[in-house]
Amino acid sequence: MFINLFIVFFLWNAVFLKNQHISYYNRTALLSYILFVNIISALVLGTRTSDVATQINDGTIMNYLVKPIKLFRHLATEDIADKFLNLGFVIFEVILILRFTGSAIFFPRNILLGSIFLLNGICISFFINLMLSFIAFWTTETSGPRFLYLMLVGFVAGSFFPLDLLPKPIYQMLLFSPFPYLFYLPAKIFLGVSGKQLIPYYFISLSWVLIFWRLTSLMWVKGNKSFSFWGR
Amino acid sequence: MIKSLKDSLKIFFLYSKFSWKTTFQMRIGVLFFMLGKIFRFIFFFFLIYLIFMRTKMVAGYTMNQAIIFYLTFNIIDTASQILFREVYRFRPLVTSGNFDLVLLKPFHPFLRVLIGGVDFLDVFMLVPYLIFTFYLAVHIAGVSPLSLFLYFLLLCNALVIAMTFHIMVLALGILTTEVDHTILIYRDLTTLGRFPLEIYREPIRGLFTFLIPIGIMMSFPPYALFNILSWRLLAYSILASCILLLISLKLWNSALKKYQSWGG
Repeated sequence: MFINLFIVFFLWNAVFLKNQHISYYNRTALLSYILFVNIISALVLGTRTSDVATQINDGTIMNYLVKPIKLFRHLATEDIADKFLNLGFVIFEVILILRFTGSAIFFPRNILLGSIFLLNGICISFFINLMLSFIAFWTTETSGPRFLYLMLVGFVAGSFFPLDLLPKPIYQMLLFSPFPYLFYLPAKIFLGVSGKQLIPYYFISLSWVLIFWRLTSLMWVKGNKSFSFWGR
Repeated sequence: MIKSLKDSLKIFFLYSKFSWKTTFQMRIGVLFFMLGKIFRFIFFFFLIYLIFMRTKMVAGYTMNQAIIFYLTFNIIDTASQILFREVYRFRPLVTSGNFDLVLLKPFHPFLRVLIGGVDFLDVFMLVPYLIFTFYLAVHIAGVSPLSLFLYFLLLCNALVIAMTFHIMVLALGILTTEVDHTILIYRDLTTLGRFPLEIYREPIRGLFTFLIPIGIMMSFPPYALFNILSWRLLAYSILASCILLLISLKLWNSALKKYQSWGG
């Protein structure tokens, strides 16, 4: 994680050595974006739900099934703890990079509004991760889809560059997918984007939360019905 | 000597055959991993393109040159993944004590624990990287047969350095039973070479060129291709890989002496 941040930060830093502006961004804005995205990604991607796939495959998921607890709530609690642990590390990394490079960044703005979008992003990521784990109800090969998901998220969620640097048709198409709501939009809001223009995007992100919530619940119910295990 | 080499090759091919069979037992996984690798390659390629759409030079390099740095990183990373994938599976051998069975066999343990698990998924990726690199290299002005030769020589040198790192990881695995994190740190560090080292400021650049030789591995081959590598640095890079090889073998031998079977 740190090395990734390190590489992207220095790559964009090198780009701005000879350029004042890249599209809408000056050096401070773009480097701030990269650092905000990294802090956000620690919250969005930090998860323990990948363990669920292992638990389904080795049968230990039964320990949850027989207990009077709500599995989704239990996993969400575990995730929150993991996210805070990650947050601590990533803030340390960001401070380290800022102190080392002496770069200036913007102080985050619209913190409340950004947090609302961020919350949707966290929920989207939580449900996608759970679905990826629930694949284990039908196959033991769960690491491949997760690998592909992480590769996709790395780019189409905007962790290497702001998505509005993309050609406009691609950018607008991406805004209908769930990915920009994971890192890109919260980071843009923290950079200062606000106003009525965000309302449709809020509803798109909320729709994705509801869609993935429904899909995850369906997978859980169907998965439970087809679940079988021996030896316990 | 030749008979021993022949026997070793026979064992290597046998293990490779097993690895092929194991890999293609999981066809869905193979498909997703391949797609993931292809997407990762295309996305980083696109990132370079996106940057150069808006600027002509980054750290003194043109787009074609930056792509060659990126492809070189991919070639070295992929080739070392192909050859040394078995290192990732070394820990259970030590903690379970099954490493004893490897040591008992009448061939060098590296045949099993270092190169005994060829990753065939990466073989499919390596071929297009090589073709693309060669195509770009001959289209860059100033690339002579000598610079191409030096480029491939330094690619081999980079693989020797990669091998020494993997041997050190194996040795540390015996001494501490810790493999997974060590290898991840190594892989993370090598990604610094995905772009020209000039994007980093000093002392980082010096640190990752001379102390932790990521620069020698990933950046020196393109330097040779662009004719900007001095003979002094070329000699230094080969000397560095020889010294690293000696150190890693020494570490491996001393780790083996401390190996206590079950539990490391």
